[in-house]
Amino acid sequence: MTDCGCDKAKAELEEYLHQELAEQDAQDIAEHLATCTDCTEEHLVGLTLTLKVQKACQEKAPADLRDQVLLRLRDMQSSR
Amino acid sequence: MTNSTEDTTAPNTTVPTTTAAGATAQAEADAKADVRALFETQAIPFMDQLYAAGLRMTRNPADAADLVQETFVKAFAAFGQFQQGTNLKAWLYRILTNTFINNYRKKQRDPYQGTIDDLEDWQLGGAESVTQGRSTRSAEAEAIDHLPDSAVKDALQAIPEDFRMAVYFADVEGFSYQEIADIMKTPVGTVMSRLHRGRRLLRDLLADYALDRGISAAGPATARSKKK
Repeated sequence: MTDCGCDKAKAELEEYLHQELAEQDAQDIAEHLATCTDCTEEHLVGLTLTLKVQKACQEKAPADLRDQVLLRLRDMQSSR
Repeated sequence: MTNSTEDTTAPNTTVPTTTAAGATAQAEADAKADVRALFETQAIPFMDQLYAAGLRMTRNPADAADLVQETFVKAFAAFGQFQQGTNLKAWLYRILTNTFINNYRKKQRDPYQGTIDDLEDWQLGGAESVTQGRSTRSAEAEAIDHLPDSAVKDALQAIPEDFRMAVYFADVEGFSYQEIADIMKTPVGTVMSRLHRGRRLLRDLLADYALDRGISAAGPATARSKKK
């Protein structure tokens, strides 16, 4: 097992986080993270950012919007 | 009721199904109801997600609700062109994005829009070097983790629209880079750049916010006097 090193890991952490790496590359990064505290912490900041954004953006549509939309879809069909 | 005389031949139903014209009309009505039922089952459940995305785009609830309604109207009108079995969510987001650009962006377009990808980080107010010297990364992660949702939303609102939406599509919706490229009609390389820069700006803004509010795990005496 050869460590890919911090440079490669840091350069590809974002793509690793977003699951955009090819399998072998992702495995290289995972192996590096297992032994490198610095890159692991950098990865943790990225993960935290993603989770916080996810959690903050969970708004529900207003209750009457669904009824308004369904009504408009019916109107569209009856006017055709 | 003018058709009461016809009812005598078919007392158990009010729908005339005995004539060919009646059968055709009935079949057409059934087909319409089927299409609507399919759309209601498949597309309408994405309403909350589209609304949340609309809030990121328009930055206010009334416009977001209008945008979502327009999106569903357009999607329903074009539903016959949607290929069943392909990605309906991505298809809806494409319509949402197009509708936003055509109906809303014009009136709120900021002066940087259109050239935002060409700007340097320092022109966007990024302060990478400052952030990195400030605290350890584990402290940074912890500080970000303790921020209220409102701070995260404010920070999202503060970054340029194209960066904001790339972050939203990737991090909230979990779209792949290729899907985001299709939604934003831009090359994958541009998506990556927008995502990286958007997340970098967000991280800096949140670190600043945490520092200003004293939400930090970095230890005592690091809190600066508040700006403003």
